[in-house]
Amino acid sequence: MMNFMRDTMAITTKELKQLRRDPVSLVLTIVFPILLIGIFIVIVSAFRATTHNVPVVIADLDGSPASNALIDKITESNYVHVTQYVQTEDQAYQEVANGQVIGAIVIPPGFGSALANGNAFVIVSTDNSKLTSSQFVNTAVSQSAQDLVTQATQQGGVSFGLKVAPIEVITRPMSGRPPTGDPILPGFLGMIAILGAFDDIVNAICRERERGTFPRLTLSPVSLFAVYSGKMFATVVLTILRTALMLIIFRLYGLAIRGNLVLIFITTILIAMFTLSVGLTFSTRIRGSATLTVLEIAMTFPLFSLAGTTTSPLLLAPGGSAIANSLPWTYGNDALRRLIYLGSGFNAIAGDLLILFVSSMILLPVAILLSKRTM
Amino acid sequence: MSARGFFNDSMAVARNEYRQFIRNRSAILISLVVLPLFFTVSLGAGQGGAGTTFSPTAHIPIAWVDEDNTLASYRFWQSLSTSPDFRDLIQGYTEQGALAQLGTKRIYAVIVVPNGFQNDLDTGTQARIILYTDDSEPGVSDQIQATLTTYTQNFNPEVQVQPYETELQRQSVAGVAIVAKGATFAGFNIGLTTVLAIVQIFAGFYEIAGGISKEREDGTYARLLVSPISIGSIMLGKTLFDVVLTIIRTFTVLGISVYGYGARPNTDILTLLALSLIVSLITMGLGFVVASLKLGQRAVVIIEFFLILFLFAFSGLIIDSNLLVGVSQVISNLLPFSYAFDALKRTVLLGRPLPTLTFDLEYMIGSIVLLYAIAFVVLHFSRERLIT
Repeated sequence: MMNFMRDTMAITTKELKQLRRDPVSLVLTIVFPILLIGIFIVIVSAFRATTHNVPVVIADLDGSPASNALIDKITESNYVHVTQYVQTEDQAYQEVANGQVIGAIVIPPGFGSALANGNAFVIVSTDNSKLTSSQFVNTAVSQSAQDLVTQATQQGGVSFGLKVAPIEVITRPMSGRPPTGDPILPGFLGMIAILGAFDDIVNAICRERERGTFPRLTLSPVSLFAVYSGKMFATVVLTILRTALMLIIFRLYGLAIRGNLVLIFITTILIAMFTLSVGLTFSTRIRGSATLTVLEIAMTFPLFSLAGTTTSPLLLAPGGSAIANSLPWTYGNDALRRLIYLGSGFNAIAGDLLILFVSSMILLPVAILLSKRTM
Repeated sequence: MSARGFFNDSMAVARNEYRQFIRNRSAILISLVVLPLFFTVSLGAGQGGAGTTFSPTAHIPIAWVDEDNTLASYRFWQSLSTSPDFRDLIQGYTEQGALAQLGTKRIYAVIVVPNGFQNDLDTGTQARIILYTDDSEPGVSDQIQATLTTYTQNFNPEVQVQPYETELQRQSVAGVAIVAKGATFAGFNIGLTTVLAIVQIFAGFYEIAGGISKEREDGTYARLLVSPISIGSIMLGKTLFDVVLTIIRTFTVLGISVYGYGARPNTDILTLLALSLIVSLITMGLGFVVASLKLGQRAVVIIEFFLILFLFAFSGLIIDSNLLVGVSQVISNLLPFSYAFDALKRTVLLGRPLPTLTFDLEYMIGSIVLLYAIAFVVLHFSRERLIT
């Protein structure tokens, strides 16, 4: 046992020394988290911009005070920017079809009188190939119509034909975070652990194979299990560093981390261990480091949606949900979210951690067995 | 050199590429099977295909706490529990009991109808429903709130069975209906545009930049350069071979999308193929530029990863490029990939004929020419240095 531990530590030290001597890999360990967060900030900034200025045209076919009031509300909206007023419905649609604007808002004749009867409507034609922008146009018109009705009701006591009082839904997120809180940062931490571990395995096995040092390592008086354990322990050390870096970035970004830090580190370590086990299994069949990296990157991108990084598995289609539930990474990301956002304790995430641990313990011997066969 | 000789040399390089390719099982597997299949299947499974109608909130366990216990609150529960959107409403909880379960993955939200709900409705006061959510699940909170709101807007406590809500009614805003017009897309049409572009970029970049780096590391690239084949022939030969792979991948992605997930592209196959080739040629041009920098295979793969991440953020794949602001929008406007993705969406989703996208086409073709020219110049000079 002592020999095993000593051999494991020797391999770990060797791995870390190699990393220190490889500036590209060393930089990558730091660049990965920063790049991912940078991209997140770009996307979030776009969504959270105070004004979106999605270009729209308006065709007011009514010309009543009510339609003018609605146009005023729409022009005040931060979502859209009215680029043109056109005379006919067809002109408005043509502008959308030509790609000049994202949306056309048509206020039909009789809008003013229909509003008083509670059966008014507005036509919104959008270029739905612009997925987010078209939603903003609809939101702008909905909000403007709501404002118009509310204002008219308050000022004139007109109910606009509503038969029942509306019901307000008051949402109270259990984390206490504002509704605009970032829902995906913990998932990014999970992805960093996955990407980092994948990169580690490329360094640890494939590049050694390519350089011819792996057979020498296996010929040394060190067991294959100790070799793999040593490499895994090196990944654990690197995962701790990556997690610490990510948590610092989270704090600088203003994210409140409510859970136990030790549990967060344990979770990312288990995610990395499972990823390493998968990588070791792959590396028994795919020998080239570049090929393995490409394969792993190709695998990683779908994980953004399937492993609960950007979307909860609960919201996926049944097939996607089934895939998500069969991936141990999903449980790791879930545990991270609960730890960081809800401040859950060990009991709440024990099941998730167990799934990650057991999956690793199943895959690791398989990887060692396959590795022995392919030597 | 005559044009015929140039073309013969290019074909010789393409044949060489083909021979190397068929001898490399993992290259075949990754390029033609894993990338198209993996991306399409994973995205298709996540989004659901055409004909797969599912309500995201239907099977989310939600606790129902009725503190009002009136006819109105019962009818509201009835309207939710019989709807296709809330199939897993669980009764029998107290508010405290339900909140204690929130965050344990047994329930993901709690709907509380407070005392005075019916009274508020009867007196014309705005009634309230409190929704507690487990917001550690990305998107779940917003989705439940949005779906629940549609049921509250048209709820009428005076009738036992709530009228069936048409799509138009669901979008009504307190008496003003928003009639949404505009093309709607079959389930996987959007996924098809994304997957097609990503697969071609992923594979094309690796095949060109990674391929040359591998040849450089193996020492065969230097031998190729000292042969009487021009740099132009080498670039054209590699491009021609990759065009063949691009065509195969396009049909693979299209086949899985159409037959597996029911995508219905709103354009003809030639347009789809043309755009796929344009995306691929831009990527290959970029691949040649990167290859000219004499980077190792590993560096190329890392650049590829960064490139894809970069494109996700700036080229309109996740968020419409017109919504980006400041420097992000400038970057987006400069990227030829932004125009390619836009053209893919306009043709595949909206059915716009490709020749009408004049500016997009000009920009993309101009970018291809520019990237190939840069790569040619740099590769040419590096060849001179290698020989001398």
